Amino acid sequence: MKHSDNGFFGTFGGKYVAEVLRAPLDELEQAFSEAMADEEFLHRIEDEAKTYTGRPTPLLHARRASEQLGGAQIYIKLEGLANTGAHKINNALGQGLLAQRMGKKRIIAETGAGQHGVATAAVCARLGLECVIYMGEVDMNRQYPNVFWMRQYGAQVIPVTSGSSTLKDAVNEALRDWASSYGDTHYLLGSALGPAPYPDMVREFQSVIGNEVKRQSEGLQVEAMIACVGGGSNAIGFFSPFIEAVEPALYGAEAGGRGDAPGDHAVRMNGQGSIGVVQGYKSRFLLDLDGQVQTTHSVSAGLDYPGIGPQLAHLGEQGRIQFCSIRDEEAIEAVKFFARNEGLCFALESAHAGALAMKLAPDIPPDRAIIVNMSGRGDKDIFITARAIDEQQWTEFLHKEVQR
Amino acid sequence: MPTVMTHMVAWYPDRDRSLEAAAALAAGGASYLEIQFPFSDPMADGPVIQAACTKALEAGFTLSGGFDLIRQITSMVDIPVYIMSYASPAVSMGVERFVTSARQAGASGCIIPDLPVGCDEGFFAYSKSIGMDAVPVIAPNVTHKRLEEILSVSPRYVYTALRAGITGTQTVLDQPLIDFLSVLSAQKVKVLGGFGISSSEQIRALSPYVHAVVVGSHLVRAITEAVSHGRSVSESIRSAMKQWEQ
Ligand SMILES: Cc1ncc(COP(=O)(O)O)c(C=O)c1O
Repeated sequence: MKHSDNGFFGTFGGKYVAEVLRAPLDELEQAFSEAMADEEFLHRIEDEAKTYTGRPTPLLHARRASEQLGGAQIYIKLEGLANTGAHKINNALGQGLLAQRMGKKRIIAETGAGQHGVATAAVCARLGLECVIYMGEVDMNRQYPNVFWMRQYGAQVIPVTSGSSTLKDAVNEALRDWASSYGDTHYLLGSALGPAPYPDMVREFQSVIGNEVKRQSEGLQVEAMIACVGGGSNAIGFFSPFIEAVEPALYGAEAGGRGDAPGDHAVRMNGQGSIGVVQGYKSRFLLDLDGQVQTTHSVSAGLDYPGIGPQLAHLGEQGRIQFCSIRDEEAIEAVKFFARNEGLCFALESAHAGALAMKLAPDIPPDRAIIVNMSGRGDKDIFITARAIDEQQWTEFLHKEVQR
Repeated sequence: MPTVMTHMVAWYPDRDRSLEAAAALAAGGASYLEIQFPFSDPMADGPVIQAACTKALEAGFTLSGGFDLIRQITSMVDIPVYIMSYASPAVSMGVERFVTSARQAGASGCIIPDLPVGCDEGFFAYSKSIGMDAVPVIAPNVTHKRLEEILSVSPRYVYTALRAGITGTQTVLDQPLIDFLSVLSAQKVKVLGGFGISSSEQIRALSPYVHAVVVGSHLVRAITEAVSHGRSVSESIRSAMKQWEQ
């Protein structure tokens, strides 16, 4: 199923929100469907995508990596080359322009890794909109470079200290803000989750990734496509034009974290998550037996979230998408592998997809292709990867820097 | 004493003192008790109730313990008791089992703000079928069409957030809010109105327009203050409610 049926993908999705948010969501749904039928609006998005985002992003044949692994030809969609460093800009730009069309003056957003926050702040700077970003305190500490850039782009970054102080808590805080500010404020949600119309809207704005891949991969025998899955926006956008076909195989890489115990990972599919209603939508979540949301862990802040977008949960249930989990250390290994063999710097989130490609490639013949979505680049992760890969040199450098 | 529905969080600050709070609220003149089951992600609540939920979960709240507490409260007080919960605990347990457990514990109904009419997992139909109240939560920004949809499930009560016009002690209910409440009261439904009510002036000003005034964060804050100053929870509730009588 490509679009929702009145907000639902099978039994998932919906608009499970307190009534105060119903009117703003209905207004947004209406405005979105009007905008998508307006040629001028679509041209504006296309124009910005070309001149500001830098689209189309390349599809790279990773020849040396493919040779090393000795199997399928690996192709990498370089979303990390998009302005601001990740796919998040596609959605931020679409919703930013929509908000402006709706006459909203203020934008609020949640962010985990900070890539969505950076993209949103950049778009607001460009469009002249006021911008407030909610970010968990834990995430602010581990993704400080992004906090710095959001502030340079003029955004106010508000630390969230409730709950686990990560992405889900930032979503709660943004929803609370919106419940009293919707008159002049648009909530620019960053992933393909939340109440309708967000899952449909975010997929549409991210589908530019898959549409480009479809053109760029003409003539290739594509066996599989692989994306990492936090909330699911890069994955659903990348998969979008292929969902209704039976080929190629579609794989989602979830964060396996540091182990199988509750709290040590963010694996919602494959029996670990349970069906629930949280943050306005029905999907699979990591919950305890009483329906309390469990804490999660991932080395990548962007995958450290207890829910998954409803359309992906539905496509997983139907068997169209297969989900696999990748451990923290496997993701770090993938960062090293693609850096050494292709001169690419994967974001830790995207490295989960890279790691899954490394596992799948050897079993697929060399005349076949697999396409990995490198949803972002990893400059933002230097405080994590540098410590994980070479702790001594990195801490020495930090000490020197502080003393300077 | 005006008609008041008081709000409290089960297991806040712990099981025994939440039981004590319920007794004090009933003794202080509440007409209805609304008892919230704590949730890890209370999206529709402000900082006071969020913090209370976190503490209550740390104090060991479970759903079975929660229903057990409700049973003890309903056998102790002679006013109706309503359970407020977020969707996740109810959906995890199964909405029908949740409502049935509430009934077995002696509650009169449930309030689940993120199971709105139409996205309610059978909450409204099932509650009605076993004689329980499913109380929809609305807000003044509700459209006419949406209000009709909500009222089409013929609830006995609606719970409405009052966001505009009643702040501070110089309470002025603004005209749009009065119009909204008048439209509601003209329906065959009893209106429970609250959010941000903290003074006797506000309660008195609002009383003529609603069936009962809901007082929430104000009382939770009284408990928080009692705890932080090492005072008795029931004493603090008694003195907070005493002020409403004048
Ligand atoms: C580079 C990158 N990839 C992936 C994600 C995960 O989000 P989603 O699953 O919505 O693509 C993030 C989130 O912050 C990200 O920054």
